Amino acid sequence: MNTLISVKDLSFKYPGGTENILNRVNVEINKKDFTAVIGSNGSGKTTLCKAFNGLIPHFYVGDIKGEVIVDGLNTREHSVSELSKKTAYVYQDFENQLVRPTVFDEVTFAPLSFGMKDFKERGQLALEMLDLTSIKDEFIWQLSGGQKHLVALASVLSLDPEAIIIDEPVAQLDPVNAKKIYEKLKLLNEAYGKTIIVIEHHTEFIGEYCKKVIMMDKGQVVWQKPTKDALNNVGELIEKDIFPPQVTQAIHRLYQNNILLPITLSEGIDFLKNHPVSIAQQPYPEKVKKLPTPIVSLEGVTHGYKTLNRGMNYVFTDLDLSLYEGDRVAIVGSNGAGKSTLLKMITGIIKPKHGNVFVCGENAGNTPPEKLSEKVTYIYQNPEEMFIEDSIRKDIEYFLKVRDVPDTEQFFSKLVERFHLKEIENKDGRLLSGGQQRRSSMAIGLGMRPQVILLDEPTASLDISSRKEMLLMLEQLKDSVKTVVVATHDMQLVAEWANRVIVMDQGEIVKDGSSHDIFSDVALLEKASIQAPQIIKLGQALNLNPVPLSVDAFVSCLVAESGEEKLEIY
Amino acid sequence: MKSIKDLLSKITVENIKIELMRTAYGNKDTFMGKLDPRVAIVWYLIFAIIPWLFWNNTILLGFLLYMVVLLSISRVSPLIIILLAFGLVTEAGYIIFVSVMFGGDLTAAMALLTFTLKLTIISLASIAVFASMDPEKFSDALMSFRLPGQVCFGISYGYRMLPILIEEYNNIFNSFRLRGKVPEDRGVIHWKRVVYYCKTAVFAFYPMMLNTAKRTRTTVEALEVKGFTYSLKHEEVRKLKLSYLRVQPRDIYFFIFTIFLIITVIYIGHLYPIEREIHPL
Repeated sequence: MNTLISVKDLSFKYPGGTENILNRVNVEINKKDFTAVIGSNGSGKTTLCKAFNGLIPHFYVGDIKGEVIVDGLNTREHSVSELSKKTAYVYQDFENQLVRPTVFDEVTFAPLSFGMKDFKERGQLALEMLDLTSIKDEFIWQLSGGQKHLVALASVLSLDPEAIIIDEPVAQLDPVNAKKIYEKLKLLNEAYGKTIIVIEHHTEFIGEYCKKVIMMDKGQVVWQKPTKDALNNVGELIEKDIFPPQVTQAIHRLYQNNILLPITLSEGIDFLKNHPVSIAQQPYPEKVKKLPTPIVSLEGVTHGYKTLNRGMNYVFTDLDLSLYEGDRVAIVGSNGAGKSTLLKMITGIIKPKHGNVFVCGENAGNTPPEKLSEKVTYIYQNPEEMFIEDSIRKDIEYFLKVRDVPDTEQFFSKLVERFHLKEIENKDGRLLSGGQQRRSSMAIGLGMRPQVILLDEPTASLDISSRKEMLLMLEQLKDSVKTVVVATHDMQLVAEWANRVIVMDQGEIVKDGSSHDIFSDVALLEKASIQAPQIIKLGQALNLNPVPLSVDAFVSCLVAESGEEKLEIY
Repeated sequence: MKSIKDLLSKITVENIKIELMRTAYGNKDTFMGKLDPRVAIVWYLIFAIIPWLFWNNTILLGFLLYMVVLLSISRVSPLIIILLAFGLVTEAGYIIFVSVMFGGDLTAAMALLTFTLKLTIISLASIAVFASMDPEKFSDALMSFRLPGQVCFGISYGYRMLPILIEEYNNIFNSFRLRGKVPEDRGVIHWKRVVYYCKTAVFAFYPMMLNTAKRTRTTVEALEVKGFTYSLKHEEVRKLKLSYLRVQPRDIYFFIFTIFLIITVIYIGHLYPIEREIHPL
């Protein structure tokens, strides 16, 4: 018997819900599979996975039909505690699943709670499997996001489950940490024989790591295929707002005929070796001319934080930076490089210990943020922290209302319209979906009529369609604001949107240039732990210069030489 | 004026957070921190009760001295000491002020100061115990006294959440500031600004509570999956969890020393009493 999880005719409706979230689902997952579950928002991916570990039907008592068998146990007849030794779950908001103060407490918590005498050994083993022994005694709240995710994984691994379910690991992590997590999952799968199930829409990771793909739509399993076949359904995937890997997209557009498309970078490079292309060279993009007076300037800024052992941790020492009108700046660098601190310094929330920050002629060092906010707006990474009123409309109006600005009704109505918030304008922001929250936070920001807008991770934890929406909004910003600054890990966003990229590493600006400059500097990428988008790596492998930054640019500078006509662009 | 400004600039959310976490977890290797938490709690209970049994200032001063010595070897965070000192100074000032203003004399103040002395002993005892005891150990000690499991877990979980809550509160507070408006007219000694900051500080609590409530859903599910409910229902889990608690010789010596000290102080107090005459009514 090789089947680990078998789902038969499973239908489920949340209590009080009107529609079935799962609708006659039939699926089987084998032992030692590495499966990705994909599908658009609301297709029932998370609900299905919660049926695997018994949270459904024991914790969520809804309308349930059909059955789920996990390693021979019927989930209806066995308790959550029995089932959690079979399947483990790592949440998308994994920080909230960590309940203990230190790493070792956390990883021993589950086996201890189940009264396993060897709970210490189990915790230790889980730490060793994931290479975490060096942070064993650290406090959870001092860890970075990537480390917390690994600890969340270790804490469920300590029960030695057969299967591990991971809900959107890439959404909350930067690309380097996401890759690390996948490497660990691969190890768990191959060396320890664990079955891995990921809910994922970043197809580049699916192509690289997963063996099988389950596609869900409207509460049903549409198909279950090996990864290669699955990602070759380019048309169908795009229709469902799932984008195949950039390599697959590019080759698909170059070759119309039915060939088996490559799904990873290395396959793409091999493919192009065997299918020669001619290169239509593109001109270098023009450099943006700088106006003489900067809008924002930092002069010799030094700042640091105290640490637990009464030392000082310097974020910046003697930093200089000027931002100009027309700049679309992306600030990149690993976690802790000082990106958020830099943005907060421009808003006046954080005052520099030494040096000066000037924003639109005002000295941010001695101007309260309330005053600076008339010039500059900061959009939080977590939109929930911006919802200070009980409805979106009130949140958008807050800034101008407290300043008694007259005749604003029309302005607000237009703003609500522009960000498609009409239907939800009277709702509390916390009750909205991720994409809606993000749109609302943008509207709140623009409701302040700023000249400079600062965004902290605007595309983090968005699904693909909301992300596309976000890109469009960023594009439109140039009509209403002078300078846009984005701190981000999303290199596709950097490549396709920014006209100036600032790379930070340990509080220093290690490079300030165009996307082309940044992505062609391999040593720099290595140093600042940046992963260039797949399409750029493919372009570099072909020695394209300037390297194309998007799939569109890539396709337009290559001509397939297989005799076929070049594909038109969809 | 400048030094006051410097001092005020040190009161940032970041510093308060660090001080709090340092107080909670940073003192594991002090003498008091190494005691068995159950012994420490019993010790604290003794000193929470005993000052109320005496009006003899010699005895109370003896206890006070003992507390000061203990505190000095406990590396207590300056924040806590400042808070305590602030409370004591204002209280003493208020007592003297009230007794003199309302026609009493300093004997009335002395009587009340004895009361302050008792409170100080108890405060110092609680600082000595709780500032150096890890919340984890405290929670386990309570569990071994058979308090409900939810309460014990709540204490350690509360501490774990503290830095997250402070950070979130700080962000929301800043969110208000980034969209709010400071009164242009500052008023006498900036009182209008003070009112603005106080109002904002209160308002910022509401979104934080709502955000936290939303987040706990994952936590509750995770606890269920990790067997929290199971652990409450099974006595052997409790035993396993508490198996690391052991009374060491150090604890016994400390306890004997304390009893000996209490008796000595009482004895000396009887020999050389500093006592107010109690006027019959």
